[in-house]
Amino acid sequence: MEARRTTATDGRSVAPEAIADFLRGLRKGVEEGLGPLSAAQRAATGMPESFREALERGAQRLRGEYSEDEWGFDEEFAEAVTPGFEFLYESWWRVKSAGVENVPAQGRAMLVANHAGSLFPFDASMMAAAIRREHPMPRWPRFMVLDWAFVLPFLSTFMRRVGGVPANPDNATRLLEQDEIVMVFPEGVKGTGKPFSERYRLQRFGRGGFVEVALRTRSPIVPVAVVGSEEIYPKLGESSVLARLIGAPFVPITPTFPWLGLLGLVPLPSRWRIEFCEPIDLLDHPPEAASDRQLVFDLSEQVREVIQQKLYENLVLRGSAFI
Amino acid sequence: MARGRRIVITGISSPWAGELARRLERDPSIEFIAGLDTEPPAVDLERTELIEADIRNPLLSRLLPSTEADTVVHCGFLWYPAPGKPDRALHDINVIGTLQLLAACERMRTLRSVVARGSAAIYGSEGAAPLFFTEEMARRYPLKTRFQRDVGELERYFENFARRHPSLTCCLLRYQPEIGPDIDTPLAGYLSLPVVPTQLGFDPRLQFVHSSDATGALEAAVRNPVRGAVNVAPSGTVSLSRILRIAGRPSLPIPHPLFGPALAQLGRQLKMGGTYNDGVRLLRYGRGVDNTRLRNELSYEPRFDALGAVRDFAGKSGSRRIVPVPGPRSVADVLARR
Repeated sequence: MEARRTTATDGRSVAPEAIADFLRGLRKGVEEGLGPLSAAQRAATGMPESFREALERGAQRLRGEYSEDEWGFDEEFAEAVTPGFEFLYESWWRVKSAGVENVPAQGRAMLVANHAGSLFPFDASMMAAAIRREHPMPRWPRFMVLDWAFVLPFLSTFMRRVGGVPANPDNATRLLEQDEIVMVFPEGVKGTGKPFSERYRLQRFGRGGFVEVALRTRSPIVPVAVVGSEEIYPKLGESSVLARLIGAPFVPITPTFPWLGLLGLVPLPSRWRIEFCEPIDLLDHPPEAASDRQLVFDLSEQVREVIQQKLYENLVLRGSAFI
Repeated sequence: MARGRRIVITGISSPWAGELARRLERDPSIEFIAGLDTEPPAVDLERTELIEADIRNPLLSRLLPSTEADTVVHCGFLWYPAPGKPDRALHDINVIGTLQLLAACERMRTLRSVVARGSAAIYGSEGAAPLFFTEEMARRYPLKTRFQRDVGELERYFENFARRHPSLTCCLLRYQPEIGPDIDTPLAGYLSLPVVPTQLGFDPRLQFVHSSDATGALEAAVRNPVRGAVNVAPSGTVSLSRILRIAGRPSLPIPHPLFGPALAQLGRQLKMGGTYNDGVRLLRYGRGVDNTRLRNELSYEPRFDALGAVRDFAGKSGSRRIVPVPGPRSVADVLARR
């Protein structure tokens, strides 16, 4: 027994005897009328610490003992999927980020960025990864997602758990009032759906609704320029028939999609740069200024110009798109 | 005023109305309580005067004024189809009944306030909706189910009534669905199934009002009615998958087009007749409402938040954690015997 325990704690892998021990304990527990979870926990007392911890955490999740905020954001889940996004950030797209410190360490802020990636926009996830990895006080940003994603199975659940909410001013306002960081993409579908030839040319910024929300909640706006996202799925054309069939806003045709089927969903490994610009402080304007159309348009245009200029600068800095 | 308050409650056979009457009975400042329904109440009531009447009956316009009540509480709005009360009968009771009741209220000279127990279904269950509806966001989406349309009609009649009688305080409570250890609703039945079917790939955010908060909010509205609509909901939301884990119920995800028919099959077990479209949508997209007005204006602070209500329901309703019987035991048996 003693010897077995040492082998189990020494080696990275758990010895087969230890597993048998564990299972024997589990059976005993279940026979004594314990629930499977508590039996497993009791049986694990002789197992190495890391195994016990993992088991404990798994058991807690199975009992529903984990945190989930009122938006459905599940921090443990978001952490669990982080390695995938880290791989994309570091190895696949080799993202270089600048100015992360412009994202406030506490309090509300609205990050406004260009939107691209016709099949599946990854810009929000990479901005989040930049903040999580490089900010001195990492926070979980929330992001606005195209409505259509929230009527789809799986995708809606996934988006919600990692911090996405349907894009509408009510959700943005409430999130900012709770002092969260909210990422918005005012280009919306016009941004993701633009053809490859139009890349890095910002589309119209909606009706400037994001400025209204920022004014009303007195949140600073941090313009963000994302370079690289517009090459991951070069959109050459679109299929309106398919779009109508599945109710999607558009279905892009790229060099690989739909020709290669699921393989066509693999994004191209472009090189990325993300620049977080100086925050634009709106505190000079009272919240009522949100109903001043001209001011809203002016501010919206100002943010758009900052992002457009930073896009051009970063395109030059990046050099070639893929190598 | 020397006289105490006089209150009429419709739909007294429902558990929430019965519980409200029981709480009001304890208050000596309330002089008279009458309960109106076609069936006897589920709880024992001491001094509530029971009036056996159907709110759809035109006689109501003579009966109600004779009670000299100052407050009418409309709890006769039915949420769930029941055996003998299918969808169509529900529509009749909800819409015609409300219309008839409000017409009778117009004849009451003593009336000062009307409180109605409505539903947050007016906001709908939509995938891409605001995640927290406030009171002014009603009817943003088309009303899709029969129940939603009934709620829509209730609200319209109620608004018109309030507009025509500005001297009356008309308070409309928009309830999220209720659960609690002591009440029996189809949704509570659904959550207590041995294996709970869910819709594959969907995990709705839900808010269930704990039954004690449901009565508490109703009581607060009777004592201190405010004008207009008030959401009745706990703070926070819980996802369905988490609810099932807390309740210890295994879930069975099925493709969502099949969920409605499957739920209809289970209908008899859940004590509901026929399909319950509203539940199908709710269990796909969920719904969250903002309860600021309930807490600040009605001054009712819910005792349970969304998670607390579910925990209390799971802990007390006798729903035992189900051991997946053949699973770990037999596996452990086989492996440990090596």
